[in-house]
Amino acid sequence: MIRKTILCTVAVLLLLSCGGSGDYDMEKPAIDMSGASAFPLTCDTVYRGESFTFGALFTDNRELGNYNIEIHNNFDHHSHSTDNTPCAPDERKAPVNPFIYNRDFRIPAGTVSLEVRNSIPVPEDVDTGDYHFMIRLTDRAGWQQLKAVSIKVRERETGAGVRLVSPDGAAKALSASERDGDGSVM
Amino acid sequence: MIFFSLSGNRPERPVQPPDTIAETVSGRDEGRIVLDEVTVRADRAGNIRMMSAQNVVRVDRSFLDDHFSGSLMQSLEHIPGVRAVSISAGQSRPSIRGMGFHRMVVTENGIRHEGQQWGEDHGLEIDRFSVDEATVVKGPASLLHGPEAIGGVILLRNSYIPATRAEGSFRVYGGSAGRPAGLSGRAGGRTGRWYYVMSVTCTDYADGRVPADSIQYYSYYIRLKGGRLRNTAGRERNAGFVLGFEKEDFHSRLLISGVYSQTGFFADAHGLEVRLSDIDYDSSSRDIDLPRHTVSHFKLINNTVRRFGRVSWETNIAFQKNLRKEFSEPVSHGYMPVPPDTQERLFDKETFSATTLIGMPVRERISLQAGLSAEHQVNRRGGWGFVIPDFRTTGAGVFVHGRIHVSDDLIISAGVRADRLRTHIRSYRDWYATPDEDGLPVYRERATALQKAFRSITWSAGLNRRYGPWTLNVNIGKSFRAPAPKELGADGVNYHIFRYEKGDSGLKAEESFQLDAGFGWQNGVLTVRWEPFINYFPNYIYMNPTPEYLEGLQMYRHAQAGVIRFGFESDFRLQLTRRLSLGMQSEYLYAEQLSGDRRGYTLPFSPPPAAGFGIEYRPGRGLWGESGDILLEYRVTGSQHRIVPPEERTEGYQLLNLSLGCSRRMRGFGMNLRLQAHNLLNRRYYDHTGFYRLIDVPEPGRNISALLGLSF
Repeated sequence: MIRKTILCTVAVLLLLSCGGSGDYDMEKPAIDMSGASAFPLTCDTVYRGESFTFGALFTDNRELGNYNIEIHNNFDHHSHSTDNTPCAPDERKAPVNPFIYNRDFRIPAGTVSLEVRNSIPVPEDVDTGDYHFMIRLTDRAGWQQLKAVSIKVRERETGAGVRLVSPDGAAKALSASERDGDGSVM
Repeated sequence: MIFFSLSGNRPERPVQPPDTIAETVSGRDEGRIVLDEVTVRADRAGNIRMMSAQNVVRVDRSFLDDHFSGSLMQSLEHIPGVRAVSISAGQSRPSIRGMGFHRMVVTENGIRHEGQQWGEDHGLEIDRFSVDEATVVKGPASLLHGPEAIGGVILLRNSYIPATRAEGSFRVYGGSAGRPAGLSGRAGGRTGRWYYVMSVTCTDYADGRVPADSIQYYSYYIRLKGGRLRNTAGRERNAGFVLGFEKEDFHSRLLISGVYSQTGFFADAHGLEVRLSDIDYDSSSRDIDLPRHTVSHFKLINNTVRRFGRVSWETNIAFQKNLRKEFSEPVSHGYMPVPPDTQERLFDKETFSATTLIGMPVRERISLQAGLSAEHQVNRRGGWGFVIPDFRTTGAGVFVHGRIHVSDDLIISAGVRADRLRTHIRSYRDWYATPDEDGLPVYRERATALQKAFRSITWSAGLNRRYGPWTLNVNIGKSFRAPAPKELGADGVNYHIFRYEKGDSGLKAEESFQLDAGFGWQNGVLTVRWEPFINYFPNYIYMNPTPEYLEGLQMYRHAQAGVIRFGFESDFRLQLTRRLSLGMQSEYLYAEQLSGDRRGYTLPFSPPPAAGFGIEYRPGRGLWGESGDILLEYRVTGSQHRIVPPEERTEGYQLLNLSLGCSRRMRGFGMNLRLQAHNLLNRRYYDHTGFYRLIDVPEPGRNISALLGLSF
């Protein structure tokens, strides 16, 4: 009797194991920032009082979900950017009126590939300095991809001179402007 | 049969499988029997197999010493089907056949251990050196152990009773990987009917070490200095006291214990957020900076057993207080400004519990056991982070279980239980304002006040059959649990895992039906066990990641889905010669969601298949002292490619472990030494169910450790 029971149990388990392979999504979506219009990249600068255009290519094997763009200050230098070569941070400081941006974007159903361009306004009165630009992307199945980029918010230099309105001191701002020197931004 | 005679007498097994019924208690002529001897024999006798229709594994203190590890659950991992999820070198929480959190129960001295079972980063707050015996019941055990005993139960006992006026033991241990050091001492004595036991344990461990110089997570890149997981050091301080009174038909004891631990969390990623801090973590590998947590667990238990002829009556009353504090560097996030202090979370849980059990023979071949249990819990929260609201829960259950001995080789058992549970959740609002749709600042309500009651009838039926060298046990049972307050009432950001969690107040009590079997065959040389099971949940509660975003974080919703799970464990032992034996153990588990959004997917934290091959040599008397052993173990763990978001696929790995032990006895002193080498080849591997798996932290590298025990 016991031997028969074992045989039956093995048979049932084998049957069950065969029935399992389902058709379901096992791939994460992808954030591609290698295109010509991809912005911002690590150490890129955006200017207060102006808008910049976030550009990236989102792809998924099945169907994209939604995405979120979030910008928060990194005045306390709390975390890395996603790149192995972090850009030199400004000095630490306490936030007075930090730029907070947090917006969810919907992607139309059935989209597998999306060239994203979003205009993001930077208010005129926000603190300048180090910020994190976070991109979060889901697909329909709930997989998520993240990308974190270290950016800087600066005051646009008017004219040829180095006139800075930011409260954090001219010397530092000057070195920052040297880093951004070639004007690759925007 | 000694085993049977013990059960009615000793208060430390109040929630014994109902098979150990009073009728067998006879001819006991002495109040005191050393338990260690008993438990070891039991497994060999095969009688233990006849005691419960469920798959039960019982191990004693010598097993725990032989497999000593950073934590108690890591020692129990040597039982097929049991897994430890390690949070740090000295902390881990258990799972049975992939069921962890509040889908299994741990009891200590007959009382359900009430820590913060629901949390990913909460270990088990029990002094492992105080445990004398551990019993693992695999499969649904709600009938005897109440709600949440879905995957199984781990029953821990401090069953040591001193035999002389004064005696004691010491244990010292140390290791290489996290450089742990520990000291544990126990002293006790007995005068007439009274006895006492005192125990103290201190352990310290340094930052964990992994065979890797960096970790990559998404596209974050974290360098590790000397392979050290920054800030994962910890310490533990435990003390316990037992006062007992024992006579012919009465045994009562009072147990007081306190467990305190302080542990750091991996500094570069608190939860799942990668962080860079000003703290100089690399300056010392033993200090504990932020983020860290402290846990203190206080327990007061009374176990009492009375005997009236062939009827036994047990009562267990307990009070527990679990206070857990979590500290991290205050950081602003979204609309939350920089918090004023470092106390991110506080959980304060007080539990009052009482159980009573009566066991009696009804007729010649029928025995009955009936029980009543009640529990009241008050949970308070604190700190600037929010995951669970304040709540209180009151539950009560009543059960009856019978067993018919058709013959010595055929036993049929069945039982039924009714439970009622009431949960009151209090409302919680953010301490900071978030702009609403119109841009006006509001203090968002993260948990709404809620009162809910759950009722459930659970049952179980089984049989035991013995036929020549064969043994068979079959059990079918239903178990249940009420949804946790987090599952009902969460509505906010879990800063640990960086996701937005939303509960569902409409969740129904989770139910589970499981069929278990155990097939055994043995002769003098070969022992084979195979324990398959099949398990169905009509409404498994699952946190489902959705494509939605809220407040910048991915939204996870608690949902219910049908789930099927099946698998097996096997154990094979071949005694080649008197000194040499071979062993093989394996486990396999398959899980699939049958309905809902995740149809076709597995369940989170599904353990991959695993097998262990061991060769053991016991040279006997001689060089090794009175007894000694060498065990070489080769463990193969398969890869896990069946995953759910946000898990990662985990590749398989192979490990080589070596263990050497010897013991000596001289003039009243006993000494035993155990040397162990874990991951001898220093392989870099990932544990799919590990706490830090999601951020790609590998498991510890080669670890050589030693345990020295002295008794007098």
